[in-house]
Amino acid sequence: MNLEKVIFGFFVVLALTLNVAFVIGEIDDPQHHSVWILFTAIVVNLIATVLKIGDRSHIGALLLATALVADLQLIACASVWTIANQVLGVVSTEVTVGIVSLAAGALVANVVSVTMVVTDSLISGR
Amino acid sequence: MAKGSDLDRVASVVLREMRNPILVLITVHALGIGGMVLIPGVDPDGNSVHMGFFHAFYFMTYTATTTGFGELPYAFSEAQRIWASICLYLSVVAWIYGIGSIIRLVQNPHFAQAVAQRRFAVATARITEPFVIICGFGDTGSLLTRGLSDRRIHGVVIDNNVERIKALALRDYDLKIPGLCGDAGVPKNLRDAGLERPECRAVVLLTGDDDINFKIAVMTRLMNSRAEVICRSTERIHEEQLNSLGSVVIVDPFETFARELVLALRAPTLHTLNQWLLGAKDATLERTVSYHPGTWILCGYGRMGRRLQGALQDQQVPTVVIDPNVEPSEVEQAVVGMATKANLLEAGMHHAAGLVTATDSDSTNLAILLTARSINPSAHLVVRQNHHENELAFNAASADLIMQPSLVTARRILLRLISPLIQAFLEHLEDNPELLRAEVYPSLRANLGTSRPVLFTLNTDARSAPAVIALIDGGSVLTLDALLRDPRNRDQRLGCVVLVLRRGQQRHMMPAASMALEADDELLIVATSDAERRIRTSLTDQYLLEYLATGVERSRSVLDNWLRA
Repeated sequence: MNLEKVIFGFFVVLALTLNVAFVIGEIDDPQHHSVWILFTAIVVNLIATVLKIGDRSHIGALLLATALVADLQLIACASVWTIANQVLGVVSTEVTVGIVSLAAGALVANVVSVTMVVTDSLISGR
Repeated sequence: MAKGSDLDRVASVVLREMRNPILVLITVHALGIGGMVLIPGVDPDGNSVHMGFFHAFYFMTYTATTTGFGELPYAFSEAQRIWASICLYLSVVAWIYGIGSIIRLVQNPHFAQAVAQRRFAVATARITEPFVIICGFGDTGSLLTRGLSDRRIHGVVIDNNVERIKALALRDYDLKIPGLCGDAGVPKNLRDAGLERPECRAVVLLTGDDDINFKIAVMTRLMNSRAEVICRSTERIHEEQLNSLGSVVIVDPFETFARELVLALRAPTLHTLNQWLLGAKDATLERTVSYHPGTWILCGYGRMGRRLQGALQDQQVPTVVIDPNVEPSEVEQAVVGMATKANLLEAGMHHAAGLVTATDSDSTNLAILLTARSINPSAHLVVRQNHHENELAFNAASADLIMQPSLVTARRILLRLISPLIQAFLEHLEDNPELLRAEVYPSLRANLGTSRPVLFTLNTDARSAPAVIALIDGGSVLTLDALLRDPRNRDQRLGCVVLVLRRGQQRHMMPAASMALEADDELLIVATSDAERRIRTSLTDQYLLEYLATGVERSRSVLDNWLRA
């Protein structure tokens, strides 16, 4: 067992699970989507991104790309929420739907990422 | 691929080194934001309120960077203040850790080397014209680089001495000359220098280490068979080894100088022309330095002394050698000992025609020169200068000929790189003294006068002379005479002389002005620098060239042409 691999796998999977935890629920109901989960999802996604940096292999480059996509979508999601809440002063149903859709996009990127990690370790057989 | 892998290496090293600091920063920020949101605050009305994520993020951003805008949106509660101080210290430590990592990385010599190597590879890849790789940047290397830059020939330098590469960066060359500090014998360094590219026309080996020179020569043959290998060497054994590689040009400064000295004795006019073409200081065509025959004294019997003695003996010039280690049986006449006044007198300095001081110590050489002059002021004095930095002292000594191995080598290689035709031309003149006297000299005197000569070659191919090709393809005849007229006034000739015209395997020495140019001719021209610039302009300007050829200036405007038609 390799501690580095454990930490890496932990953060990649945690990024996915937190993302699911945020997205799940009625798409237009703000009660179903916790701001705390979004916050931790962003932090864990950022950490997962940094862990993927510096791997020069082809799969490493693809993993980094998916992580960057997830970061971009989640940060966009948080920005939309902040602007709606702080600047406009109201979070309408349309905005809630937009926020959750952006997070759902990030979810796809995270699924791709986890699939690649799992496939890679299955193929390498270790 | 070379560029990509270097870029990858530098970028991935930076990212890997920065991974932990960034992780620490993310964690500290997340902790701080989370804490600020959790800890309750008090609004002006006394209600307990929680800070939102946006405000917490804003607070952490200005606190972590120690900007400090104060307690926003409301004055903090005591609990919030405790947490804010913890956040502040944590984030300052995290930033110091991050910045410290970057500084440590930048100071790492291996990292600096990787960055320098990458910069070098990028700078080399930007050169799109033919270029020369110079391995070794000592006296000879820097003289050669200066010469190349003056002739607008691109160069790339590799040297294993850091100080020399630093010095290279400070030189004010007309062209950008990239330099790499590294072992030129390592194939990766040669590849970064662009050895494998088709634009690489020659590799010049001046490392001063015969083994490394040989290694680079072998690498060059393997990695780019088209590139010419030019090597400085003073050891006969090493030359044989290099010759076995095939098509390696060996420049031996002592051999070259011995040949020059013999030429000066045998054909003074040609020697003067040679010096003048080489760009030697105070060489003019107006004054021919001739050396009278007689006994020559050679002080120093090392590598140079041996070559000179051999060359002089071949010309049946009587020589006397003065050296502490000379075997009297080796040479026709020898004085064993240092070149003191007594020994010089014993060697017959009083009635000697000339003296060569060829030891490897500059101060000894100058001292012998002074002694010899006091004995026989009319003798020719030839002196060997070993170090370029002693130039001022040697100039003050006013010897008849200064032999500086580094300068001799650099000039020989430069001429070779400008064109191999130069050597062929000089050899042709050696066999035909009549041509030299009756044609070359008067022509050069009339056209160039006392101005400094610039030697250059012109190729009439589509790349370097598109206008010439267009004119010839259009059915017009372009004579040498037309090409060399002044674009400002067609009735006047530019200050230049065509020395050689090469067409295929055929070489026309001093071609007639009425000769018509064809595609893929190579011309060796000596001109004033002004004339060189004008000729190069007319090679690419079709209208100008047409005017030179026909005397009619065609209009450049489409509308005007259409109106006239």
